[in-house]
Amino acid sequence: MDFNPCMKHQLIRKTVREFAESEIKPHVSLLDKESRFPWDIIEKMKPLNFFGLQVPEIYGGAGLDTISYAIVIEELSRVSAAIGLCVTVHNSVGIFPILKFGTKEQIQRFVPVMAQGESIGAFCLTEANAGSDAGSVETNAVETKNGFLLNGTKIFVTNGGVCGTILVFAVSEDISKKSCASVFIVEKDRPGFFVGEIEDLCGMRANPVSSLFFEDCQVPRENLLGKIGQGLKIGLTALDTGRIGIAAQALGIAQAAFESSVSYAKERQQFNKPLSKFQTIQNYLARMATQIDASRLLLYRAAALKDSGKPFSAEASMAKLYCSDTAKEVTDLAVQIHGGYGYSKEYDVERYFRDAKVTQIYEGTSEVQKMVIARSILSQPS
Amino acid sequence: MVSELPWDSKTGTLKRELAQGMMDPASRRALEAALQIKENQPAHICAITMGPLMAQEVLHQAKALGADEGVLLTDRKMAGADTFLTSFILARFIQTDCKDVDLVLCGSQTSDSETAQIGPQLAEELKIPAIGYANHINVLKKSVEVQRQVDDFFEILNMDLPGLITIDLCAYNPRYLSLAGVEKAFENQGIRIVNAEQLGFDETFCALKDSPTRIIDVYSPTTQKENHVLKGAVKKVVDQLFDEYGKVISSAMGKDLKTHEHDEA
Repeated sequence: MDFNPCMKHQLIRKTVREFAESEIKPHVSLLDKESRFPWDIIEKMKPLNFFGLQVPEIYGGAGLDTISYAIVIEELSRVSAAIGLCVTVHNSVGIFPILKFGTKEQIQRFVPVMAQGESIGAFCLTEANAGSDAGSVETNAVETKNGFLLNGTKIFVTNGGVCGTILVFAVSEDISKKSCASVFIVEKDRPGFFVGEIEDLCGMRANPVSSLFFEDCQVPRENLLGKIGQGLKIGLTALDTGRIGIAAQALGIAQAAFESSVSYAKERQQFNKPLSKFQTIQNYLARMATQIDASRLLLYRAAALKDSGKPFSAEASMAKLYCSDTAKEVTDLAVQIHGGYGYSKEYDVERYFRDAKVTQIYEGTSEVQKMVIARSILSQPS
Repeated sequence: MVSELPWDSKTGTLKRELAQGMMDPASRRALEAALQIKENQPAHICAITMGPLMAQEVLHQAKALGADEGVLLTDRKMAGADTFLTSFILARFIQTDCKDVDLVLCGSQTSDSETAQIGPQLAEELKIPAIGYANHINVLKKSVEVQRQVDDFFEILNMDLPGLITIDLCAYNPRYLSLAGVEKAFENQGIRIVNAEQLGFDETFCALKDSPTRIIDVYSPTTQKENHVLKGAVKKVVDQLFDEYGKVISSAMGKDLKTHEHDEA
């Protein structure tokens, strides 16, 4: 067992950090303030393969392993969680299900364009009355002569305002007319597809999270992903991978908050000595560092399991649960260490604090992660 | 900065295992120059460095950026080499393994010692012409046209090939690594490792002892700044500021300051 990162993973980290520090960092605060999606930065990211992280080279991607993928998201999110979110959602729940369940024709049709970043991916499951409870989805797909007619409203769609290729989770009927879930690929220019208003959220403000409307939106049969009734399977598989991405994102936020806290604790003088000389602050920093380290190990284990082709669902949930809890607690302590300045927009830690919370909610709430973990434990023979 | 790096004061050499592995900013610009040349004509780029095994990362980085191969010259016997010995060792490899080389590109200087000696010394060893601090290269049939800035003017030089050029720290803005590039750099053939014996150095070879120059110490000059707080009524403080610092302020602004103007008015 070797806990040291290999040279490739070190270079991946340096590569992303160099780009993020130089090209993203100077703009992050303003993007958050203006809730603006940074198309100019996205343009610079396209040729560097950020939009085809695990896509095989033949389809124009980087062909990275999952640990590298996690490192990329971690490093992007260390600087901008909103951009990290765009990239992880696009790659994990946008592209991955097409690669995994798509026909060769579908892969050739959708993946290369997405891998180049020319069409940003989104995955929509959540509705007004269905979030963690995927069985309550009301968006429906009625089979027609030419394909399917979609009707329904999806909410809180990450990348909603900028997406080009959307995976839609909808209720359809199987051969025996029994109700079942299926996933459809919808291109943004299809008649009957509309983007709703951008949500006014607490954090991740540079990501245009929005509602999406499907009103008699006709999609051809070739846009059905997998088979009729495979929706839940596709959804759960996508979410397992998505959870590794969100865990990495949470870890990146925690890392940023931790680094800010260490440097602030060394600089800030109170009672004629730096904060770092106070045992209370040392205890905070020690706790933050330990939680971050444990998070990282859980995350990379889940990623390594996925790369080795072994089941990783419970481990991905553990990583997501723990990394997001870490992000919330570490950013909370970071604000505390910074005192009044931490609560001010003059410092970045208040943004980390706002961004961290949602990592406990989306891609499966912490409560859902515990359900997944418990189910895995209890399903094993005693 | 050089003095911020971990130096071993006993040997006068850098503790390279403690220094974060990175490609020299100037070397990265030299590689960028090579990549831009290759974009316009067929070329084979061989990235060479000398250092401990961890320096392989820099060569992977070079491959990720577009170099065709990476070669690491590494051996305990070559550790502690000064610029004279480093140029000698690099030249030995180029003479034996890159016989058909047309153009040797180096960064103008390294960030660990900033001597700017390796390029010119390497050209001497290889007995080829050299141009330092170039900021643009135009490859012709059997020569290169090189632009460089000297003081406040530019000069354009023509040099026969084979030759050596060092690239200025302000030229050839380097590109970012693509993630596909990094992945590929590790997929293909690895980094070629060459030791002292393979370079033809015998057992008595010891770069640390054989180096004619030695670094005695590396340090930052200490400044003796102190804060001077002026206290009292505003008028008194402003007068005192102009009396004591008027000359410094006017020299920084580049024009004369009329002090006590408010008194005269």
